[in-house]
Amino acid sequence: MTKTKTKTRKAKAELITVDGVEAAALLAEARLALGTGSRGGISRWDASGVFQELAVADEAAGTPSARTLLLLYAADLAFRLRWQIRPALAEGRTVVAAPYVDTAMAFGRAAGIERAWLVNLFRFAPRARKRRFVHATGARAARAKDGFVGFGCDQITAGAGRGARRRVVEQTAAQLRRLDRRN
Amino acid sequence: MRQTPAALRRSARAHFTDPAKRRGLLVAFEGPDGSGKTTQRKLFKTWLKSEGYDVVTTKWNSSDLIKPIIKSRKAVRALSPEEFSLLHGADFRHRVEQVILPALWDGKLVIADRFLFTGLARDVARGLDLDWVLKLYGPLLWPDLVFYFSVSPVTSGKRVTATRMPSFYEAGQDVTQVDDPVESYQRFIARVIREYESLALIFNMITVDAEQSIGEQHRLIRRLFIEGRERPWSDWNADAVAEWLGNAGAGAGR
Repeated sequence: MTKTKTKTRKAKAELITVDGVEAAALLAEARLALGTGSRGGISRWDASGVFQELAVADEAAGTPSARTLLLLYAADLAFRLRWQIRPALAEGRTVVAAPYVDTAMAFGRAAGIERAWLVNLFRFAPRARKRRFVHATGARAARAKDGFVGFGCDQITAGAGRGARRRVVEQTAAQLRRLDRRN
Repeated sequence: MRQTPAALRRSARAHFTDPAKRRGLLVAFEGPDGSGKTTQRKLFKTWLKSEGYDVVTTKWNSSDLIKPIIKSRKAVRALSPEEFSLLHGADFRHRVEQVILPALWDGKLVIADRFLFTGLARDVARGLDLDWVLKLYGPLLWPDLVFYFSVSPVTSGKRVTATRMPSFYEAGQDVTQVDDPVESYQRFIARVIREYESLALIFNMITVDAEQSIGEQHRLIRRLFIEGRERPWSDWNADAVAEWLGNAGAGAGR
């Protein structure tokens, strides 16, 4: 039997991240980033279902703080990395993570959490080669309902009024613009 | 108007160092499974109540909000060491904000049956970096006293397996890859105890020889508590209290 050497071209595996406050806009941008006909996939927030369970928890259990939410976000991201992002990259496929670390960093900064704590928290997450941002300003940002930022702002401003919620969403959006400028 | 972090820290200091008030005290009981912590915690609580203390107990992995999330994932053995660590960190943080700090603010005595050192010992035994895990627990809240119940891996193994089979994560089967829970527990607890022993030195815990009789241990704890309860409030805790005070809707007392 003759041994034949076949040359296989390894597909370029790439992690692209998309961050922003609006879940629908993130998904649209993630689809654009992935392109048509790509063998890749999109990794979305709450793939582990942690926040889904939180959303239906008894009110008497108490609302989580921003720090608690960020620890849960990191746990969800660790799950996404293990089951979605790393396996896809290992198979040579492109993955768009929408949202990724920047959304959580922006939310944390807007909620008054120190940068050093956030940087340490997400130390386990690999840095993406391409980072994209979806910006929302003013009223559009304040309407953000779905997704981590909307959910998080509802939780940490529960009982504090609409003004407080709007402030945190807008500050998150402003933090994301800052991160994008540094990108 | 929102107070600045500096103003919140000042409020925290003023509250916890006010000589006119009986200040809240936090006492943590730490140690591996089978070290007799829970027995001692119950005896200690009964004695404290007889001494007129208003006592609140908090146990590891008991937040009403996070515990169900952890429980469902443990049941299907779906947690990586990072997820395990982060979810327990979230549970701890939620209890600090919802149970421990409100009770301390009200001048109560909080007994923590396991504290953040449990997370550190177990996570590091699972191969995670101590520095990363320790920072997850920031801003740190230091107990006034930490009793570390020291037992050998053999004693821990004997006591635990005498009454039940260790669970998958308790036995560390997620990291040892050993099928037999008892054998896995023996290997894993040796690592956990090694980490505990280092932490007890680093963080100046009070080591209790948990191989002594129950009565001897209890008398020692009473004596050390009486000696230690007059310690001044640790200013290291100002950041944790200030953050809690600043959180929207964090309850009464402000």
